[in-house]
Amino acid sequence: MKVLVAVKRVVDYNVKVRAKADGSDVELNNVKMSINPFCEIAVEEAVRLKEKGVVTEIVAVSIGATQSQEQIRTALALGADRGILVEAEGRLEPLAIAKCLKAVVDKEQPQLVLLGKQAIDGDNNQTGQMLAALMGAGQATFASELTLDADGAKVTREVDGGLQTLALTLPAVVTTDLRLNEPRYASLPNIMKAKKKPLDVTNAAELGVDIAPRTEQLAVEPPAERAAGIKVADVGELLDKLKNEAKVI
Amino acid sequence: MLPAPFIAAVQQLIGAKRLLAEAADLQRYGVDRTTIWQPAPSAIALPGSVEEVQQLVLLANQYDVAVVPSGGRTGLSGGAVAKNGELVIALDRLNEVIEFNPIDRSVTVGAGMVTEALQNFAEQHGLYYPVDFASAGSSQIGGNIATNAGGIKVIRYGMTRDWVLGLKVVTGAGELLELNRGLLKNNTGYDLRHLFIGSEGTLGLICEATIKLARPPVDLAVLVLGVNDFPSIMTVLEKYTAAMDLTAFEFFSEAALCRVTEHTGLARPFESQAPFYALLEFEQGGDQLDTAMALFEQCLEAELVSDGVVSQSLSQAANLWKLREDISETLWHYKPYKNDISVKVSKMPDFILEVDALVAERYPSFEVVWYGHIGDGNLHLNILKPAELALEQFVAQCSSVSSEVSELVERYQGSISAEHGVGLLKKPYLKHSKSSEEIALMRAIRRSFDPKGILNPGKLFD
Repeated sequence: MKVLVAVKRVVDYNVKVRAKADGSDVELNNVKMSINPFCEIAVEEAVRLKEKGVVTEIVAVSIGATQSQEQIRTALALGADRGILVEAEGRLEPLAIAKCLKAVVDKEQPQLVLLGKQAIDGDNNQTGQMLAALMGAGQATFASELTLDADGAKVTREVDGGLQTLALTLPAVVTTDLRLNEPRYASLPNIMKAKKKPLDVTNAAELGVDIAPRTEQLAVEPPAERAAGIKVADVGELLDKLKNEAKVI
Repeated sequence: MLPAPFIAAVQQLIGAKRLLAEAADLQRYGVDRTTIWQPAPSAIALPGSVEEVQQLVLLANQYDVAVVPSGGRTGLSGGAVAKNGELVIALDRLNEVIEFNPIDRSVTVGAGMVTEALQNFAEQHGLYYPVDFASAGSSQIGGNIATNAGGIKVIRYGMTRDWVLGLKVVTGAGELLELNRGLLKNNTGYDLRHLFIGSEGTLGLICEATIKLARPPVDLAVLVLGVNDFPSIMTVLEKYTAAMDLTAFEFFSEAALCRVTEHTGLARPFESQAPFYALLEFEQGGDQLDTAMALFEQCLEAELVSDGVVSQSLSQAANLWKLREDISETLWHYKPYKNDISVKVSKMPDFILEVDALVAERYPSFEVVWYGHIGDGNLHLNILKPAELALEQFVAQCSSVSSEVSELVERYQGSISAEHGVGLLKKPYLKHSKSSEEIALMRAIRRSFDPKGILNPGKLFD
């Protein structure tokens, strides 16, 4: 069975994100970029399915700038078999990404598409759902457990107040939540091998997809800074300030 | 007990609230991370200014009160232990940034500033304070300087000594000295600043320090390699340091890794096991990552290493570091005997073999756990207490291990304390690293700064 895994290049989870001085966008100059953590979980799940013998081929796809090849190489080092980069510059909206993925799905005909539930930069949580709609395929989002065989997929989802289990026919789209697995480290021997794995580069025009954004980004600003705390001398002063300054009691 | 007029004068000076004597305070301020000695100070003074520190020392001289200077008390040699009714002077309140100068790339801070706070301050100003170790969240700059703290970045950035541009100290006699004025170049005879660095509170109280800051490293990658035997670690080190500027080169044994993963739930770096692991850190910009990969291939072909991983994100880098940094904390569960020694990097393989053989022959039930800053020739020898052995017996047997290891260190012309200091713990073994002439001169130096011997008595030497 063939599985398609989407991976996105994003600002590293541990980086303190800053707005550009002119407020036009997030500062990306000299900022550490990594694979989106949820995508990493999707790759790990695909690799585990392959190790179990259920999956035979893993194709890692990324839509983004040329440097996204680094994240595809990471996926290849973790165990994906080949990579596809759909080169695209500028601000990519979830619909544009979903359409690019749909075009790749049409070509590759995978039985399962695994995606992160959201990317930590846009936090949109839309691409997987949109892709499923475009494919006319079933979807299970926020997967915390996944079993797969030739007949279909069984997915446990984390929902408010508990767990929900869904059965899906294939092809299907599954998006991964944090507790699905703990991704492994990329081993150096596998990184070396990954250099020799095929990575095809295409672009949106070649796939016949319009990726022009439907929205315009007007401004990016940091949250208002919190005023520094103060020390009060006694309970009386505290109560006074809560009552007359903060007006909370 | 402290003389009543002394207590009254101190209360007058710093305020009654700043002189603590409750049992919990005495317990807390009277001991560092060692567990051998019972804390028993008389009181804890928390001065709020350099002038108050100076007045305290003058009073202590007047009333013959012994003083133990106190920082974050994260030391491992008993240097901050107060067990004989001393007055502890804790610098906690001198924890502010006094002056920051971006042109000099230096910052003057109070000695009570926590190491991590200084690191954060530097980061906020686009700079970097490179001295770092597991206890950076509690240790204080003054204590770091008094013990010349090392840590995990020494291979690239050196010890605390390399970052101190100036000191404001109160000597044991109560003189206030401003040493080196924050200058980079100052050839005007003896540099007393360096005497205070590593003096372990026996010459004076460090009150303020001017610290040099560095350009922050960019885009660090962490490599963990499975290494086939100890001599191979040295060859790996040689290959990597010849080609790259490493910011860290650490090692730990399989026994250390097992305990850490068991206790913390951290994932192993890779499935396969190796007798030793090396952790390397470097800036991966330019072609450095490719260089590191090419070297790994060479090491793999030469059968020096068996496997390896590289961090793909900052959180992976942090987790790989935890495999090394959490060892010390993990081993506390086993009431370990700890020793911190150094020999020349080139002599390490022979040295480690001899220590292993010595322990295996004399104490076959002891489990030895090795880790350390191997790029600096610094080994942390840990021996875990066998479950069936009573703590007292274990401590007694380990004390004879110490003597034997110290003799071995002397034979290898190494140091009985690489970075933890001498304090109380290593006092009996100082003679293995310093000649009697050197120790006599050290005593004479101490007398010039602290003629009545009121500061940290019994530490370093008697």
